[in-house]
Amino acid sequence: MVSEFTVWFGRLTLDEAGELIDCHPFEKNPDILAERLLELQEGGQKVPATAPDLRRLAFDCGFVDMDEDYDVLLRDVCIRAAKNRISSTDTDDVRIVHAVEALDDIDKNVNELSERLLEWYGLYFPELELTGEPLSRFVLAFGSRANVPDDHPLFEKASKSMGSELSFADEELLRSFASNLCSLYDTRRHIESYIVTGMGSLAPNLADVAGALLGARLISIAGSLQKLASFPSSTVQVIGANRALFKHLRSNTPPPKHGIIFNNIIIKNAPWWQRGKLARAFAAKISLASRTDFYSGKKDPSIKEKLELKLTAIRNANPSPPKKETKPGGKASGARGKGRKKKGGKR
Amino acid sequence: MSVEELSDGIFEIDLDGRKTLATKNIMPGISVYGERLFREEGVEYRLWDPRRSKLGAMVLKKFEIPLKYDSTVLYLGAASGTTVSHVSDILRDGLVYAVEFSPRTMRDLIQLCDQRPNIIPILADANKPLSYAHIVEKADVIFQDVAQPNQAEIASVNSKYFLEKHGHLILSIKSRSIDTLASPKKIFKDEVHKLEGGFGVEFEVLQRKELDSFHEDHLGLVARMFVDGE
Ligand SMILES: C[S@@+](CC[C@H](N)C(=O)[O-])C[C@H]1O[C@@H](n2cnc3c(N)ncnc32)[C@H](O)[C@@H]1O
Repeated sequence: MVSEFTVWFGRLTLDEAGELIDCHPFEKNPDILAERLLELQEGGQKVPATAPDLRRLAFDCGFVDMDEDYDVLLRDVCIRAAKNRISSTDTDDVRIVHAVEALDDIDKNVNELSERLLEWYGLYFPELELTGEPLSRFVLAFGSRANVPDDHPLFEKASKSMGSELSFADEELLRSFASNLCSLYDTRRHIESYIVTGMGSLAPNLADVAGALLGARLISIAGSLQKLASFPSSTVQVIGANRALFKHLRSNTPPPKHGIIFNNIIIKNAPWWQRGKLARAFAAKISLASRTDFYSGKKDPSIKEKLELKLTAIRNANPSPPKKETKPGGKASGARGKGRKKKGGKR
Repeated sequence: MSVEELSDGIFEIDLDGRKTLATKNIMPGISVYGERLFREEGVEYRLWDPRRSKLGAMVLKKFEIPLKYDSTVLYLGAASGTTVSHVSDILRDGLVYAVEFSPRTMRDLIQLCDQRPNIIPILADANKPLSYAHIVEKADVIFQDVAQPNQAEIASVNSKYFLEKHGHLILSIKSRSIDTLASPKKIFKDEVHKLEGGFGVEFEVLQRKELDSFHEDHLGLVARMFVDGE
């Protein structure tokens, strides 16, 4: 059996005994060799049953003719390859953290500014029922309600409004105010898509399981992907629940069940009695996903699949709210009884 | 002050009545992790802190270390290179392939590789030896310190592929990575048993000893691989 084996210095054809039959050495360009080395590392090619004598093969192949050349070149190539992989993984998470925090900064400002615009512009057009971005777009486009064209759906309202007249100076001011708000909305969208793209390469599994934005937020609160990967899933579950957590530590309130992962649609939309269980399952897979991202960096679709299975199982096992314990003649099933006991015992 | 070479490149030094471990610094003037440097008869040595290195602790626990000055070593779990730097001193005519899978840790290791000519860094998961089969040649010695639950398996699959006939395995087993509750003694016994044939290769265990007082709940082990038909 003859086999092909591509190694860091060339493409080899070997016979059963590992002897060289044919060989194409690569060009001795360290950068290109480093790139190919990384591709091969991902590639999962078939390899001989046991390590062939690479060094001797490199001589036979005419790639180098001295031990020292082999060492020097291999070392150079491996250092380049490792540096490449690190520089791309390393700064990414700092950039994502900045992006997420910028998103929060923008939200805070946008809320205040749009609130201001609503009240301010309300003086001139109180019947306008727009808020947020649509309001800003409207003010930017028309300024005074006198400018709303007659084929516009709001023309009727605009012409019958009881608001005061808008002076030219005020109109200019409001329009530029609205224009700033609109560009904040644009920047916000821009940052969001930046995060989605960035998470796809930094933490593909986390993005898959939690969604890019929630995933990025978890990284940001944890401080880095490395820290997130080091948390046990019970901590992941309460990340972002700082206030409830401190309250729990100070007074005797129950510990928080959910942190920001509770914001995920899957949990938010679930009936209340399933949420704790769903959040726990969700946190466990988020934790696994962030570890996979940090340590291997490779996408593993089975994490998400297993999560889906688990979520479905939880939904099926808990179709209706647990019955109250005090009800006479309660026919609590074994499983439910257990759940209740555990809860009581912790108090 | 007296200097005694315990085995290839590993020295025991009597510093004012206190015995310490050291290697000959192949990069004179540079201290890698804050360890003390000193000169004796024109040669610079680096002190080797056994508390920061399983291999160092094994030397002090009287293990016979199978490293020669010209060995080719596959080192699994290189971390930032504390121990690797001493291995690099020992192998003044050899080469060490240093595998580490955490990119952050790898950054420190690369700095070390930039200084030293005989360390080849590989960012890879030791569970997947085939992901570096196109880089690493046959090794005389595999050293492993990965602190993972499947330590015996990692050692076996790597040895099966990369270790020379009759090559040596130096292994540090951390019981708490395998099971935090079970007794370390029992875990060590199980792991050694797995090594002696659990994963398609067989080893003859030459020496095993716990590394306590330097590293709690760690077992050091030196073994030699059997070859088919012996
Ligand atoms: C106890 S430290 C090694 C310390 C090092 N031997 C020394 O004495 O300087 C364990 C290292 O193994 C790495 N590691 C764990 N699992 C690994 C794997 N599957 N592949 C490669 N490296 C791994 C960890 O990232 C960590 O840096």
